[in-house]
Amino acid sequence: MEPTAARPLRILCIDDESRILRALKALLREHEVHICSDPRQAPQMAKDFDIDVIVCDQRMPQMQGIDTLREIKNAHPRALRILLTGYADLKAVLGSVNEGEVFRYVNKPWENAEIKALVTEAGRIAREAPLISSEPISEREAEEARGTVGVLVLEEDAVTQNRLREILAPHYQVRFANTIDRALMLLEQHETGVLISETETHKQGDLTQLLKALKLHHPYISTVVITERANAQLAMELINEGQVYRMLLKPVRMGSARLSVDSAITRYWKLKRNPRAVKRFALGNAPSFVEHSVPVSEQLMARIRALPTRIVELMKFNG
Amino acid sequence: MVSDIAGTKSRASCNEFPILADNSRGIESHMSPLLLTLIFLSLALAGAAGFFYVGQARLRARITELEEEGRKKEASQAQVMHTTKLASLGQMIAGVAHEINTPLGFVKSNAEVIGDLLTEYEQAVAKCMTGVDFLLNADAATFERAKTAVARVRMELANAKGLVEARELLTDSVDGLKQMSALVVNLKGFARVDRDGMDLVDLNDCLQSALTIASHQLRDRVTVTRELGKLPKVRCMPSQINQVFLNLITNAAQAMGEEGRMVVRSRVLTDTVEVSIEDNGAGIPDNVLPKIFDPFFTTKNVGEGTGLGLSIVHKIVQGHGGTIRVKSEVGKGTTFVVELPIQHKDAKK
Ligand SMILES: Nc1ncnc2c1ncn2[C@@H]1O[C@H](COP(=O)(O)OP(=O)(O)OP(=O)(O)O)[C@@H](O)[C@H]1O
Ligand SMILES: [Mg+2]
Repeated sequence: MEPTAARPLRILCIDDESRILRALKALLREHEVHICSDPRQAPQMAKDFDIDVIVCDQRMPQMQGIDTLREIKNAHPRALRILLTGYADLKAVLGSVNEGEVFRYVNKPWENAEIKALVTEAGRIAREAPLISSEPISEREAEEARGTVGVLVLEEDAVTQNRLREILAPHYQVRFANTIDRALMLLEQHETGVLISETETHKQGDLTQLLKALKLHHPYISTVVITERANAQLAMELINEGQVYRMLLKPVRMGSARLSVDSAITRYWKLKRNPRAVKRFALGNAPSFVEHSVPVSEQLMARIRALPTRIVELMKFNG
Repeated sequence: MVSDIAGTKSRASCNEFPILADNSRGIESHMSPLLLTLIFLSLALAGAAGFFYVGQARLRARITELEEEGRKKEASQAQVMHTTKLASLGQMIAGVAHEINTPLGFVKSNAEVIGDLLTEYEQAVAKCMTGVDFLLNADAATFERAKTAVARVRMELANAKGLVEARELLTDSVDGLKQMSALVVNLKGFARVDRDGMDLVDLNDCLQSALTIASHQLRDRVTVTRELGKLPKVRCMPSQINQVFLNLITNAAQAMGEEGRMVVRSRVLTDTVEVSIEDNGAGIPDNVLPKIFDPFFTTKNVGEGTGLGLSIVHKIVQGHGGTIRVKSEVGKGTTFVVELPIQHKDAKK
């Protein structure tokens, strides 16, 4: 179909264990696989070979996986990044989402079919979806963005609400919702680029399925999760199935909250100019995450699906 | 076994408590009328009696308090032994899962890929055979064509890298399987699933076992030096002694920041064997040192330490008739020295 699809994908696998590298190379042999056992050389290699997809181990003696991914992101942002982890370590997971902006997590031992499908999907996205520029937007534009693009907070805890109001209200169009129903109403009424949400509340129960469903249909909205339930497993799930943009631990700190919201709004603003890039932040079509991941009620799903899409070109692109 | 003892203890203390409570109520009911009479006799006497009463009440309260304390302590010790078993089990499982994960990862992947490679190779062979059949059945007219066809498929087969690659993956996989079996052997040795109880043991083996189990905490970070002397076998419960060493090694690893050095020593003294674990970690301040063997004492964050490690160590070493010493200097490091008698006949189970 696309002319690019014909050329084999260029994959870079990074792990200090050479037997893992040989296994991955054999497994992904339909692609052009480069291997690297010293993560310090990985950013340069990614650039030199114009790599499409990175598969990187988390635990390496010279340098941790998240640090490696962050440096690769700076050196060669075009590549999509997959992190291989042996066990869930909260600090590493938070670091990889907030700094490394990983595409997916894969647990060791991996499922061959799953990692193959994931790499193919990541490669397709890396080739098809353009990158949004990493240039900062002008102050005037930033002001316009902050005035236009809404921030929605879904949270029932009054203390956190007040805290966020204090931090955000002076700078952004911020709206608060206690319930899913109210949140959807606000999304229907106002152009919203950032959703700040808890993962679970007393009255509304689990919110993660809602976050995933929203991402599935409206990938241009960045999700910033604020949570008390620091749990690596949940964090990984939210990245893999919900492409969460940032994860902050409660109590929310002013600096990180503002930084996250600012960069999410900027990203939304850039996506408006360059809607094809949204594919990079969407859930994609790899089998493991679309079907079984969203057991939200049909009614709710219909409402989410029907939310207005304000990035017009995006609809054409997705449709 | 351990939890049985603990269970009996806590049952015993539950029985004791009600008896005490009855007695003290008895004292109280005898005391009150006596006091009333005394008050009527004279003010001074009443004052004295009042004093006496207060004294008695204080004493009674103190006894109850002490009993309560004792009961709590016993209960918490029962709790300690139980939680520790769980804690160390969890620790061990996490360690083993981590160790097994890497070899399991590539062996599992390789097995599947080798299958695919063989299928690809079979197809190449089948093609070649078709070509050969064609050649065998060729007549003068088709011979030249058959020859070129066979030459081509032969070339394809010769160039197919599948088998070479499969062999390489197979070599890695055999390696990985060996690594996993070594781990299981070690684990069985560590837990002594097949022979629990007292045994004659070389403590160097216990140290080695504990180091392997702890290796995921040490790797990349801590350089371990072993200075192990030749030891006589010691009569002990190896699963418990393994636990002692694992806890000490874990603590040492946790006391070191990004990098550190650990020295593990063993030697034989007159009628004891001495094992020491030295680290160059944070050290223990003087005001903390007296508390480290207390159950639940920890300086680690919630969720990172239960504070049970050293209390278990202490209990086990004591149970074996041994001793444990510690010397530490803040900023320099810490050394724990365990001494176990070579012949210890009535070691507690
Ligand atoms: N090698 C060491 N270096 C420095 N401090 C130590 C060392 N070993 C023990 N400690 C101190 O003694 C305390 C008690 O140790 P203990 O093993 O009983 O519990 P813990 O290590 O805190 O918790 P857990 O064993 O459940 O992980 C530790 O919190 C630490 O402050
Ligand atoms: Mg400890």
